Amino acid sequence: MRTNGSGPIVWAAIIGVTCLLLAVFQRMLWLVVPFLLALILYYVLYPAMQQLVYRGLSRNAAAAATIVGFLIGLAAALAFVMPWAATYMVDLEATVVAYLEGGLRLMQQSLVALEHRWSMLAEARVAETAVQNLRGAAGGVAGHIEPVAMGIAAWTPSLLLVPFLAYFFLKDGGRFQRFLARAVPNAFFERTLYLLHEVDQTLRAYFLGLMKLTMLDTVTLAAGLWLLGFPGALALGAICAVLAWIPYVGSIAGGLLVVLVAATDFPDAPQMAYWAVGLFVAARLLDDFVYMPLTVGKSLHMHPLVTVVMIFVGGAVAGISGLMLVLPVLGVVMVCGETIGRIVTDPRLVARFRHATALRRRQASADLTA
Amino acid sequence: MIKNLFRLRKTSPRLEQLRGLSLFGELSPSERAIVDGLLHERDYLKDEVIFDEGEEGQAIYIVLDGEVVICRQGDPAKGRLATLGPGSFFGDVALLDNTPRTAQARATTNCRLAVFFRADFHELMRTHGLIASKISLQLARGMGARLREAARAAPATHQHL
Repeated sequence: MRTNGSGPIVWAAIIGVTCLLLAVFQRMLWLVVPFLLALILYYVLYPAMQQLVYRGLSRNAAAAATIVGFLIGLAAALAFVMPWAATYMVDLEATVVAYLEGGLRLMQQSLVALEHRWSMLAEARVAETAVQNLRGAAGGVAGHIEPVAMGIAAWTPSLLLVPFLAYFFLKDGGRFQRFLARAVPNAFFERTLYLLHEVDQTLRAYFLGLMKLTMLDTVTLAAGLWLLGFPGALALGAICAVLAWIPYVGSIAGGLLVVLVAATDFPDAPQMAYWAVGLFVAARLLDDFVYMPLTVGKSLHMHPLVTVVMIFVGGAVAGISGLMLVLPVLGVVMVCGETIGRIVTDPRLVARFRHATALRRRQASADLTA
Repeated sequence: MIKNLFRLRKTSPRLEQLRGLSLFGELSPSERAIVDGLLHERDYLKDEVIFDEGEEGQAIYIVLDGEVVICRQGDPAKGRLATLGPGSFFGDVALLDNTPRTAQARATTNCRLAVFFRADFHELMRTHGLIASKISLQLARGMGARLREAARAAPATHQHL
């Protein structure tokens, strides 16, 4: 009996469905992002809710208590962070422009130093041309701050959905799983239960791994930046760790952010920017070779080559959102595709399904035959 | 209000039915309510195959209504090993490991079964060790009874059981 259906056709279907889902998700990010964040929150809060159920609370009460506890914690954290964030937000445009100027100044200093060493670069007036071009682009960026800020403000209401959705995931997650399983014919029931379990385990391992990775990255970067003497090292480390959720692009953006801060806050010490770059390279290496294998690494059971190729495919299909979503989406589609492939290519299960269908038809028409 | 949160759950016909099942007979009402949240319910028609011999087992089945026969693959008449009625459970080895099913299970009448998925049982062991241990004890008792029955059927070779 054939038991393994994960041939080239199944894999082509898995990649095709992943691309299709990414394209659809990109068009409804207003719903996908809160849903995804709620899913992460659900997996993070689930152990706490289980503890409350264990202590004797009903599932509904435990879900409500867990979400209320989370909201209280969130409010306390915001109250702690807001005064600090407000100082930056009051004059957001001036702050961003100042940091961009700091970055440009560092770049100009570095290129001028290179021109002194390489006459060819000096003749091509590389420093002047590059800085002029970037200054023009930076002016454009400054002009885009307001629309970006407005965009973030427009997103806020849909983010309010996150705790609401997470509450219902906690409260009705099991019921929903049983509801889905009820629609499955008896012949495929056990395999489908296993499929649902695997999907749940894959997502849980991925998102919890991602959270652990973010914490490890935050601690590593914050410790490094603090040792270098950066102001707001913890916040910078946290921002960079969250940016790293976007494969490749996020790490570069995080590194760039820290270099801009170094160039602006330490205008007379360009070596700080180079130290920051060194710190990022070290953190990246730690990430790839130590943290990732310990956290997210094996959660998706994917070949590294498939992972890298699919990240590029995700970026090509759905841009930044594709880069962020491609791995969890591929992980879930892969589990579903492989299991469905095994089910529909198992002749015994298909025969049992047909037999049961015939029995049901016979029972339904028992008193109708002449 | 806090007291209300921790109050004992009201019983229901469904929970009363679970109480009558040997597998859950040792559980308190609140423990049964937790287990009830993990059970799936399936309806099978007379002659429908529930699982096959050699199939990878993922769950234990509990007969709520009707009758089920455990038999050699494809031979429910001559290869009959056991006939199970309401309250009985089968496929329990799958709850302990994921070895292949040792026999076929078929519905001999229209029947309603409760299904307890292995992963849910493992989760229960992690979060509610007491409930899981009570169920495990009942499982062990069931297996012991089957062993004694087998020993009675072959007294010469299994007298030590």
